Amino acid sequence: MKALELLTKPIFRNNPIALQILGICSALAVTSNLRVTLVMCVALTVVAGLSNFFVSIVRNHAPDNIRIIIQMTIIASLVIVVDETLKAVAYDISKQLSVFVGLIITNCIILGRTEAFALKNPPWPSFLDGIGNGLGYSVLLIGLATIRELFGSGTLLGYNIMPLAADGGWYVPNGMLLLPPSAFFLIGLFIWALRTWDKAQVEAPDFKIKSNTKPSGADYVPLTR
Amino acid sequence: MSEKNTIRKMVTVTLLVCLACSVVVSSAAVLLRPAQIANQQLDIRRNLLAAAGLTEPGRSVEEIFAERVTVRVVDLETGLFTDAVDPLTYNQQRASRDAAMSRRLSADEDKAGLSRRERYSVVYLVQDGDELETIVLPVRGFGLWSTMHGFLALDAQGQEVKGLGFYEHGETPGLGGEIDNPNWRAQWQGKQVFDDQGNVAIRVMKGRADPTSPQYQHQVDGLAGATLTARGVENMMQFWLGENGYQAFLTQLRQGDIQI
Amino acid sequence: MQPLRKALDDIAPHFHKGGRFQRLYPLYEAMDTFLYRPNSVTKSTAHVRDGIDLKRIMITVWLCTFPAMFYGMYNVGFQANLIMADMGITAVQGWRGEFIELFAGYNPNSVWDSFWHGAAYFLPIYAVTFIVGGLWEVWFAIRRGHEVNEGFFVTSVLFALICPPDVPLWQVALGISFGIVIGKEVFGGTGKNFLNPALTGRAFLFFAYPADWSGDAAWTAVDGYSAATALGVASQEGMVALQNQLTWFDAFFGNMHGSIGEVSTFAIFIGGAVLLATGIAAWRIVAGVMIGMVVTSLLFNLIGSDTNPMFAMPWYWHMVVGGFAFGMIFMATDPVSAAMTNVGKLWFGALIGFMVVLIRVVNPAFPEGMMLAILFANLFAPLIDHFVVQANIKRRLARV
Repeated sequence: MKALELLTKPIFRNNPIALQILGICSALAVTSNLRVTLVMCVALTVVAGLSNFFVSIVRNHAPDNIRIIIQMTIIASLVIVVDETLKAVAYDISKQLSVFVGLIITNCIILGRTEAFALKNPPWPSFLDGIGNGLGYSVLLIGLATIRELFGSGTLLGYNIMPLAADGGWYVPNGMLLLPPSAFFLIGLFIWALRTWDKAQVEAPDFKIKSNTKPSGADYVPLTR
Repeated sequence: MSEKNTIRKMVTVTLLVCLACSVVVSSAAVLLRPAQIANQQLDIRRNLLAAAGLTEPGRSVEEIFAERVTVRVVDLETGLFTDAVDPLTYNQQRASRDAAMSRRLSADEDKAGLSRRERYSVVYLVQDGDELETIVLPVRGFGLWSTMHGFLALDAQGQEVKGLGFYEHGETPGLGGEIDNPNWRAQWQGKQVFDDQGNVAIRVMKGRADPTSPQYQHQVDGLAGATLTARGVENMMQFWLGENGYQAFLTQLRQGDIQI
Repeated sequence: MQPLRKALDDIAPHFHKGGRFQRLYPLYEAMDTFLYRPNSVTKSTAHVRDGIDLKRIMITVWLCTFPAMFYGMYNVGFQANLIMADMGITAVQGWRGEFIELFAGYNPNSVWDSFWHGAAYFLPIYAVTFIVGGLWEVWFAIRRGHEVNEGFFVTSVLFALICPPDVPLWQVALGISFGIVIGKEVFGGTGKNFLNPALTGRAFLFFAYPADWSGDAAWTAVDGYSAATALGVASQEGMVALQNQLTWFDAFFGNMHGSIGEVSTFAIFIGGAVLLATGIAAWRIVAGVMIGMVVTSLLFNLIGSDTNPMFAMPWYWHMVVGGFAFGMIFMATDPVSAAMTNVGKLWFGALIGFMVVLIRVVNPAFPEGMMLAILFANLFAPLIDHFVVQANIKRRLARV
């Protein structure tokens, strides 16, 4: 695969959240505030890229029966380094992210990519694949966070966009958007939009539900069939 | 069995990966430690200044803090200053869960839903020149869903509220979350926390406080639709200003028994 | 009536296949069959459990909400007029005031004044619900090429009736949109939704704008006046305080604050009696809800609590306050989102009855629990049916 394709395909065509339905947990938890989300996205993208890279380096030496442990060790180390770095340079954001940086270790996207891609490909494409999947994750999260912060608190990145009614403005914030379940609805709507645009992503239904009554006149179905 | 799946290879690879990873992780931890501690300190200080309303535009937190704020530790049992722990490294939250550093509160005492209270508490004394101007006390208590952490700023007499602010809570956005609302917080300023007999008199009302009432100086508006959060704030005040909180300290400070 | 039939028949070809407005056929069809008997019979499995057709069911339910609706309008106005007289306000400001003064005054003793005053609040809510919800309904019908479902008649009136009187109309529009789109259309439309759309919309608003949908200020149609609902009083101050303000008969007949259509248990039961008598509402669900509620509240009465006054609320009070009666009669019995099997209906109802008391008594944040209890039970309905069916299969296999 070409380098560019590795990088861009996971963004819309093969989005880890919207198509593979991975990494939902953090998508719900960290998207009520755009600033926090951006940091989370960077953290995850870095971890995804580097873990793919390092796993790919050791792929020809890693014995098959302990490969998962080796991948987890590498991922966990990277996550700890990222977490420590965040605590040192962006303390208040890391406080808001709390356990969710640590939980990148268990984010299915990361282990999914190392296992599915990095073990079979050389370091450079693996790195790009990791970054690409990180970007796919980021695009969705940033979309969610933009909507949630803008309509949930009337701000973006902490800057006041829509003055709140409570402070004399006109916007009544939608409290639902600050609660994690709202991310579920938004992800659902996003998937809906994505699959309307790219029909190839629609899965074959497990079983067919009978359609609603067709209007009898529209296709001239006679009264007695 | 291919070459990479031998036992020898397994052991070597495992060792090497672990070694590399541990070096990376521990060096990161060691190298970044000082910056992290500094950040933690700064974070508390920023919250404190914001809660006490001491932030000044154009000046850094460090600057204001160095110039005006003294950090001391109070023994909550005696109400006296103590040097038992170092205020700069003392972790009050951890101490409140440590059996050796805290004691269990009986159901009667435990108005704020804390279950344990630490023996030592950090207090912040804000000075204007040599004069004590403001006392900032860390407070916390259970609201509807979560423990609300905040700072209460009192005047030098420990009688009048100069500010109240929360830096961590998980109350419902839009209802209990309104404890962060600047308008609501502003009402606290100037309220008297004790009555003439020295009992904790500050109340968060259900509905609006009545300006014509003689008790108005002790009353703060309630939060619409968040009775339990409002009650949590009141209980927090009752507890921390009461005999299991800072009452001994504030009394002695007012009577001049302890000097800063 | 002949000219109207003829006019409809004349324009019909435009909407049929090949016609100019072919895509708008659902709109024409809805209009035609609203006015006249439809010339088609149900062909799919959606609700064919009886000879009665869907349209007639829905219209009956709609008519059965009328006692609650008319009483609700009267009560909104009556409570508002009382408070206004009390507070010394002589007129409502803005367009509502003009609307009221067109035909009535502000005398709380006049039934007409009160009714008209309430109408000034209810009718806009209902109109917005109907128009916005209807637009979504028609849009999806056009996109997907099916008929506009009559169920929307019911959804819209139910949604309007569970609104507090004094809510901003844009929130009503947002709520019904969410209810119709997320609660129903994303799953394929009427018959395929597993949640009650009206309640889904209200739940959305409840969490999105808690200040307007819960708390004390929302329940009366007077600005700046706030009073807790009966449940609010009971959970904060206890049963004694509640009984000081309100007798059981007040609560039963609906002389209290609350959502527009939910206040009068009596009016709701009138509609409910018709629904039960005609078999449109499943008596098993209603019975299940009652049994679940009575048993659970008796259990809480027995346990008792020093700190939580809600433990002491007897079942006959649970029945008349909050949205219990309305939810039991009109929401729990929704044929689509409830359990389908006979035994399942009992369990489904009992789960609602149990959950509503549990939420009211134990959860400190939500004094009212009917909405959440029904939505919760909606989620479990397919599972309940599954177990009932499996048990049946097992029993019959054993007989072989």
